[in-house]
Order: sequence, then structure tokens, then C-alpha cells
Amino acid sequence: MGHVFQLLIYGLQLGSLYALLAMGYTLVFGIIRMINLAHADLMMLGAFAAYFLFQWFGGTGSMAILVPLIMIATLLFGAGVGFVIERFAYKPLRGRTTVASLVAAIGVQLFIENLMRCLPGVGALPKNFPTLLPKVNINIGGYQISSVQIIVIAIAALLLLFMQRLCYHTGFGKQMQAVSVDKDASSLMGINVNRVISITFSLGAALAAICGILYGSLYPTIYVYMAGTIGNKAFISAVIGGIGSIKGAMLGGLIIGIMEVFLQSFAASISYGLCFVILILVLLYKPTGLLGGKAAREKV
Amino acid sequence: MSDLSIQNLHVSYGSVNAVRGVSFEVHEGEIVTLIGANGAGKTTMLRAISGLEKAKEGSILYGGADLTKLPAHKIVEKGIVHIPEGRRIFSNLTVYDNLVMGAHLRKDTGEIKADLEDCFDIFPRLKERSGQLGGTLSGGEQQMLAIARGIMTHGKTMLLDEPSMGLAPLVVEEIFEVIKRINKRGTTILLVEQNANIALKNADRAYVLETGTIVKEGSAKNLLHDPAIRAAYLGC
Repeated sequence: MGHVFQLLIYGLQLGSLYALLAMGYTLVFGIIRMINLAHADLMMLGAFAAYFLFQWFGGTGSMAILVPLIMIATLLFGAGVGFVIERFAYKPLRGRTTVASLVAAIGVQLFIENLMRCLPGVGALPKNFPTLLPKVNINIGGYQISSVQIIVIAIAALLLLFMQRLCYHTGFGKQMQAVSVDKDASSLMGINVNRVISITFSLGAALAAICGILYGSLYPTIYVYMAGTIGNKAFISAVIGGIGSIKGAMLGGLIIGIMEVFLQSFAASISYGLCFVILILVLLYKPTGLLGGKAAREKV
Repeated sequence: MSDLSIQNLHVSYGSVNAVRGVSFEVHEGEIVTLIGANGAGKTTMLRAISGLEKAKEGSILYGGADLTKLPAHKIVEKGIVHIPEGRRIFSNLTVYDNLVMGAHLRKDTGEIKADLEDCFDIFPRLKERSGQLGGTLSGGEQQMLAIARGIMTHGKTMLLDEPSMGLAPLVVEEIFEVIKRINKRGTTILLVEQNANIALKNADRAYVLETGTIVKEGSAKNLLHDPAIRAAYLGC
């Protein structure tokens, strides 16, 4: 029983990372029906941003002040990069075919990864992510839980709750919903559609960047190509939950995260593959995802 | 003065010229209608005025200011509100939120409340359904919501695109009653209709559009009795 509990904690921590990333896929898809394949690379950029910030400023002042500052800086950095990518790579293609923006996203992904690889100080070799979060082992019923795990899950949960509130209970969230169903009608209401799209992109990117810090804190090896598998699983999470749905992204992330950890505990080699089996099953029986209901009316 | 003046407007979609050198005026307080067959360029004209399409040539002046280069969300600010063809309400938002979205640019909280009450007064059915999602309304109710959402922008000039489309005759009458009522309160109306009969009966002046150009203009009453118009558009 205790073993199950421990696996559950591991599942939650992984699931909350997937959920944070899935949120970005879902926000962007929800608002402009685009699959931003470069999204998970923002997580890698976030992890490296925090890595370098700590290299430069680590040791100055107390960790209790430095770490939140690094997080905020990484968040802003992610939002900024997201804004720039949207502005220069995706916006010029808006209104063209879906394939055009899909290819642009692949291009952005290749560009970011290879640019990072060329940068002096980054390179292709993995780096050890610094210990930013306080690490104390807590003993619960004979099983060890690290304070890092608790902090990561708590931060992720707070961010997800914040997004949930932002999307459904604020004026800006209503604007996002309006833009997602009808851009022309939204601009006829005086909504600056381009601005809403930019902010949405930046929000998703900021979440991904923070996710980079959380990921690095749990699995402290970061490298330029780290986005690949994690990005895929987060994307699967978003689709399983119902892409375009905020709650769906959270649910999908938790399902994939918890499932992966449990499967890994007895059949590590097939757990990634089983993600896709689950995906296929969900898509067969509920093509719009578990909590997605509206995509069915979408015109392609 | 918030007269709308369109001069030599050209709009095209790729190589298709939908509007070819159209000029017309809408004076403050009027109901002006553009009638014409499907594909005559009526909707394109409205979309160009509200900034959803870019004019290739010509100008759109409103109260003396040039709107031609402004994006759609800036044109709303100037006081032009466009109720698009097919209602285009936000199906995923409640009726109430749809209305609030109309007041998106306004800061005058007190007046917004008053306008909301006003909308509910004009359309009591929207009040009953204010918590319902927009997508669950009937066609007539959606048209009412689209108009009410337009009222919430507090625009001085309302562009209405096919408000009668797909509605039962009784509902159409109800909608036109409301349009007249809004006009009497001082809102200028530019109405696009395929239902020439009801449009001419309610408008002050009319322009007849054929394949992107204006072929006839005059007072709505005269056009209603014009034999050529009766034959072409009224089917009698």
C-alpha cells in the first residue's frame, strides 16, 4: 500500500509537469487551432535560462530570495520568447493552411534546438541542473518523500489553478474564449484579436519555461534535446484530455503521468508505447478527448 | 456629424472583384438599405466598412475621419457597429457574457448597466436566458442577441447584415420593429437585405447593388413601387 502511495507521488509530480506543458498546447490550439510543435522547447529554454541565471548570480544573497527571482525571470523570459516566436514565425502565416503553420513550428523547433547547441556554454552535452529547491527527505510511514517533490507539485497546482481562473473567470479569459470561437466577431466587439493571441502564446510559453525549472529540479539533467519525449507525452496528454480544454489538459497530464510511473514500476520498456495505446483507445471512443466537446463542430 | 460616406470603393478577394467603385452616403439618423441578389457585393461592402476586409481602392469616411486603413477593433471605437451575417454570437459564452463582450471597450460601468437593462427591456427573452450558453438559443433569439450585443457597443451607426436570414416571418417582423425602435432613438442604420420587400418598407433610402456596382438609388418608397425593382427583387 505504501508502495502505491509512493508511486502515486511520483506519478503526480510527472503528471503535473505534463499538465503544465499540455496547458500550453491546449491554449494555443484552442485559440488559433494550431499545433505548436515547438512548445516543449520553451521548457528546455526555461531550464537553461534558470541554469545560467544560477551560474551568474548563485551565491549572491540567500537562496530564499534568489530562487523566486530566478523563477520570475525565467517566467518573463519564456513569455518574451513565446511572444517573439509568435510574432515572427507564426503570425505572418495566420490565415494560411494548417500545414503552413505546422511546418513553421517544426522549423522553429529545429532552429531553437540547433541554435542552443551552437551557443558557447550550452553545447550538446547534458548539464547538471543546480539544486534550486530545498531538499529535505520526509518520512511518511516508512517511505521517503522529498520536499522537492512537494514543492514542484504545489507550484504546478498553483499555476494550473491560476490558469483555470484566468481562463474562465476573468475578462481576459472571456476574450480568449470569444477569440477562439470567432475572430471576426471578436474584432467587431473591439477586441484586439492579435493582442489576445500574442498574450495567449506568451502565457503558454511562460508556463513551459517554469516547467523547465520544475523538471530540472526533479530530474537534474538538462540538455538541448530534452523537449522531445516530454513534449510528445505532454501533447498526448492534451489530446487525451481534449485539446482546447483547460481542464482536459490537467486531467490528461495526470493520467499520463500516473500511468507512466505505475507501468514503469513493472514494465519500464513498454510504458512510453502504452501512452500511445491509451491515446488510440481514447480517440476511438471519444474522438474529441475526455473533456473536449466542441472540436466536433470544427471546420477543417 | 457622423455621416458615413463611401467613395469609389473597390474590394477584391484575390482576382475576384467583389465591390467595384461603389459610392454612397448614409446620413445621421437614417435607415439606408443596400439590396441586391446573392453575390452582388453587399456583405463585402459592410465588411470593408467595419474593417474586416481591406479596401483595394477608394475611401470610407465617417464623420470626416478616414476609416480605410484602420483595423476592425479601432473602427468599433469610432462608433460603427457591425452585426454580421449569420449572427456570429459567441456560442461558448453565456448570453450575459456575450452582451458584456459588446461593452468590451467601454469604461462607463454605470451606463453599461443601464444599457444591459435596456437590452433586456427590448428583448425580454434574453433576460430569461441570460445564464444560458449562446449556442443553445434559437435562430431568432441569436439574432436578438447579436443586435443586443451591438447595442452594448454603444455605436452611433449600426451595420446590419441580413437580419432576416433564416427566420420565421413573425420573428422577422419582430426584429424589424426593434430595428426601427433603435433607429428612432438616434442610431443610424445601414441595412443589407436579400428580402428587398421588408427592407424597402422599413428604410428611408435604398441603393440597389448588382455585381459590385450601384445600379439604382432613391427613396425606399419610390424603389418599392419601381416596376423594374418589383420585377427583379420583389417577384411581382
